[in-house]
Amino acid sequence: MIFYIIKRLLSVLVTFFIVSLIVFLMMHSVPGGPFDGNDMPVSEAVRAKLMASLGLDQPLWVQYVNYMRGVLTLDFGVPFQAPGETVLSLLADAWPPSLLLGGLGVLIGAPLGILLGMAAALKRNSWIDYVASTLSTLGLTIPVFVISMLLILVFAVWLNWLPANGWGKPERWVLPIIAYAAIPLATYARYTRSAMLDVLHRPFVTALRAKGLSERRIIFQHVLRNAAIPMVTVFLPMFIGTATGSIFVEAMFRVPGLGSYFVSSISNRDYPLEMALVLMVTIATCIAYLISDIAYAWLNPRIRLGDD
Amino acid sequence: MNALLKFVGALTLAAGLSAAPVLAETKLTVPGGSTTGTYMDYMKTVYARASGSELLQLPLTSFDNEYQLTPLAAESWTQSADGLTWTFKLRAGLTWSDGLPLTAGDYVFALQHAASTGYDFAWYWDFAGGIKGWKDVTESKADASTLGLKAVDDTTLEITTATPKPYLPSVVSLLYPVPKHQFDKFGDDWSTNVDNVVSSGPFKLKSWEKSNNSVVLVKNDTYTGPWPAEVDELTIDPSVGAPEVGMPAFLAGDLAFTYLNAGQIPVMKQRAPESIRTNAVFATSYISFDLDSAPFNNADVRRAFYYAVNRDELTTTVLKDIAIPAGSILPPSYPGYNPEIVKQAVFDPAKAKEFLAKAGFPDGNGFPKIEIWLREEGGYNGAILPPMAQYLQSQFKQVLGVDMGIKIMPGKDWMEGLQQKKNNIFIAPYEYDYLDPSNFYGIFYNGGRHRYFVKEYDDLVAKADSATDWDERYKLYQAAEQVMIDQGLIVPLVHPIIMAVVSDSLTGAGVTPNSQGFTPLDRIGNFLYSHISEKQ
Repeated sequence: MIFYIIKRLLSVLVTFFIVSLIVFLMMHSVPGGPFDGNDMPVSEAVRAKLMASLGLDQPLWVQYVNYMRGVLTLDFGVPFQAPGETVLSLLADAWPPSLLLGGLGVLIGAPLGILLGMAAALKRNSWIDYVASTLSTLGLTIPVFVISMLLILVFAVWLNWLPANGWGKPERWVLPIIAYAAIPLATYARYTRSAMLDVLHRPFVTALRAKGLSERRIIFQHVLRNAAIPMVTVFLPMFIGTATGSIFVEAMFRVPGLGSYFVSSISNRDYPLEMALVLMVTIATCIAYLISDIAYAWLNPRIRLGDD
Repeated sequence: MNALLKFVGALTLAAGLSAAPVLAETKLTVPGGSTTGTYMDYMKTVYARASGSELLQLPLTSFDNEYQLTPLAAESWTQSADGLTWTFKLRAGLTWSDGLPLTAGDYVFALQHAASTGYDFAWYWDFAGGIKGWKDVTESKADASTLGLKAVDDTTLEITTATPKPYLPSVVSLLYPVPKHQFDKFGDDWSTNVDNVVSSGPFKLKSWEKSNNSVVLVKNDTYTGPWPAEVDELTIDPSVGAPEVGMPAFLAGDLAFTYLNAGQIPVMKQRAPESIRTNAVFATSYISFDLDSAPFNNADVRRAFYYAVNRDELTTTVLKDIAIPAGSILPPSYPGYNPEIVKQAVFDPAKAKEFLAKAGFPDGNGFPKIEIWLREEGGYNGAILPPMAQYLQSQFKQVLGVDMGIKIMPGKDWMEGLQQKKNNIFIAPYEYDYLDPSNFYGIFYNGGRHRYFVKEYDDLVAKADSATDWDERYKLYQAAEQVMIDQGLIVPLVHPIIMAVVSDSLTGAGVTPNSQGFTPLDRIGNFLYSHISEKQ
């Protein structure tokens, strides 16, 4: 197992460098630079000064080596769109709101989805199943910005129970958390329902019933544990995806989070920030999958990691 | 007895004072523009400036809600006999928010620093400002001290231009001071760190949320100039700039006003017609071409497109309420607007077909398939450009028999395509920077924005820019635009109209329609935020 983890960690490093190189080349091959796109173009002389001020006058390979040398010491450079900050300080300020709202969204949405999925599977073809299926289909198909807008309309404008948007006070977190929770809830409800149904029809469940085990013990101790295996692989990557912010949820609810940086770093050709975000998500996703695989093996003893 | 009376009088006065009503602090939240901002300094960057930069510093002049030029830091100005040197007299007693005096030297430093370090708005002080030596300094061929700028004393600023610029007082509405004393201490970080920012205008910076470029400004108590702030605290929040986000926030009472998108206009017209404000933006959307490559290197082809647009139908159907027809590059009410030019821009399908046939493409036969490029936009352009492109696509097919594709692209790609002539037809929007016809005509002058080099046009514009007599300038600009029409250099399409809904609790000239029925709102932020308050 330890050898497997070391091997996987090394592959994470290789992935990290390959991704960094591909992203670096891709972002520099996109037309336009940080100082293009203004209503009146800058002259060549002015452009040269501006490019030099950001170190963009150097050959590409020098820029890449300099950047990656910095990354190895956790120096991700200075974002073009916030020159008084460092990339790390910018992300350190913006990530907590995303982590809080997105993280709570998953932590609330996932268990609720599991409960909903379980209820749907245990009461198959009943009204509970239909309601759960409808809810999960709606959660997956309605775009999150529409859900956000409906939440604002109902709870802020019509009922006037909660603030429409903004950041700071806990009551402002409620609506974005619900919006964030929609997808995990819907995803988990569907996953749980199908996984539970799959397991419920296996012979060992019939055997357990024949042994006289209580239905509650069968469901929680045996069925749910087996059904949880595919869900585990989904959880962490979903957590990473949600806790790094949503462009739409954060825009609709005016959350000063990470989501907008994914767009603005690309549209502003903010290369240091763009690289940092991609590398951060790459590392987080790789580690999330590694942990998922380990958890998968722990839950399913038939799987032996690193035995090949 | 006398002492007793005094004592009773003092008691009465004290009681009266303590019973006097305490005015509540006025705090407003308003929508902002870009969700990213780099420096809190208009003289460092215009296109990537932080929210509220213009409200923190005091320009020499500004415009009121009637678009009348108004002195701000400058009290008066004079022009030398040769028309080249302007002397601006600053008001006495102006200070920075840290108590140090605001001097003519701070305005000189602002431009010297901008010219020598790379300023994304450098074209403005070259073409529009025409400051002597500007080009040489931006190209590092001369030192910034050689610029035509001089602080004669603390309250006298002299600006010398290379050619006469009769409209310079209007141009310096975008000349903001830079606090040299702070720059000397912190370098460019004076405008990236909230603690280092000092202001000379009606507001001070309280906080700045960099993730969405929202700022909180408070009244600057040291400010002694005209147009002081009437609100105590102003939050400018770009994250509610989009009407889709702004409207729910407005309805929930969180916003002082919000702009409306095309779908929201009819709803609000029905729900709160008295709260709607309209503004004709000094902006124009037009078609431009690559004049050097086929098929648009033929003026007859370009003129065919000029006559093939039904602007009235366009603005009463797909762009209803959000645009009006454009017959000139200059919008109505803008200085130099010329009805003689405008009336030539008619929809004349027969003439359009005739020009196309003359160019060798009768009924569009043999005309290559073209693709019009437009850029992704937010705000009013975002609502106008895509439906307008679709309308033009069908109109050009119907009238000219021309097949035209549409490509919407990011702004940087679009500008690169335009500048490097990667395509031959574009839809280009442009909003004014200063109130003078030279602004709009300048975008086609000597390369400018479109890499147009049309000598006849350039000569007329150059002459018009430096003519001191307004009537003469007017005629020269008219002649220049006639060249544009005769050669089909552009096809003016529409001028945008923007609508906003304003909270009933607001009062003041900033939210009151002007004599033409328009309310510029934050298009003239200096005026709005010093002429707006809450009803008590």
